[in-house]
Amino acid sequence: MRNKVLIIPGIVFFLILLTFFYLLIIDRDPSEIPSNLLNKNVPEFKTTTLLKNKNFISSVEFGNEVVLVNFFATWCKPCRDEHVYIKRFSNENKLRIIGINYKDNPEKTIKWLKKLGNPYSDIPLDKNGRIAIDWGVYGIPETFVVGADKVIKYRHVGPITKKIYKKINLLIESLE
Amino acid sequence: MKLKKNFILIISILLFNFFTGISLAVEPNEVLEDSNQEARARNISKKIRCMVCQNQSIDESSSPLAKDLRLLIRNEIKEGKKDKEIYKFLSDRYGDFILLNPPIKLGTIVLWFLPIVFLFFGFFIIFNHNKKSNKI
Repeated sequence: MRNKVLIIPGIVFFLILLTFFYLLIIDRDPSEIPSNLLNKNVPEFKTTTLLKNKNFISSVEFGNEVVLVNFFATWCKPCRDEHVYIKRFSNENKLRIIGINYKDNPEKTIKWLKKLGNPYSDIPLDKNGRIAIDWGVYGIPETFVVGADKVIKYRHVGPITKKIYKKINLLIESLE
Repeated sequence: MKLKKNFILIISILLFNFFTGISLAVEPNEVLEDSNQEARARNISKKIRCMVCQNQSIDESSSPLAKDLRLLIRNEIKEGKKDKEIYKFLSDRYGDFILLNPPIKLGTIVLWFLPIVFLFFGFFIIFNHNKKSNKI
């Protein structure tokens, strides 16, 4: 009996060790926080857009098809890095992409898009960052996949890499 | 002698900072006129995590998002929102992670009570062990 009880701390220690190594080995980024908006409806917002100069009303713009929402700014270097992949989503997947322009200068944005190409079908302006707060955005670039049912299916924080591009592609295929 | 003087100076500066709670992050133009409301805003800000720096509260952080959230909290207070409503507003958008005090929920119950369970388990082992050694 005495030996049996004494073995328990050993087992517990081994389990803790196992969890520790498991969390070390698996591919995860501890600084990335899961979105609280997953599986919830898109936040409602109204704003003006760049280039087309129309009123963007979220309740009208979402809900017709699968949409990619990308928070970007010209002052954000990783946004430039991921722009190739945003363009691929537009050209190869024929996806509707809404690029929310975060705390930016409209003239600079127009220049930036002329130089790098414009994959966005609409560019709602978020001048003071209030829309981003409603989306739970904490560090641009951030990208969301919104289903045809207006529900947020996926959120990625940081620039889109080849790996994330593939991941989003698979997700979109499963949604369509 | 000089060393002692410097020492007293440093200690008094530290104590002054400690008791007045001067924060470097909150900018003068953010401060509300109503000191009661301002105190509430500061209290809430101290309990909200800065999502960018992650181990600072938005009261301490000078990141732009922390500033936006501080202003947002002050606006909500001016509009007459209760503290509870403001916490809910923020955790609805950023998740419970934004609260520096994790709420007791089904998912966090283990986090809160497992240490107590372990403590009792330890007592049990010691108790059992002692009982047996006394017998010999």
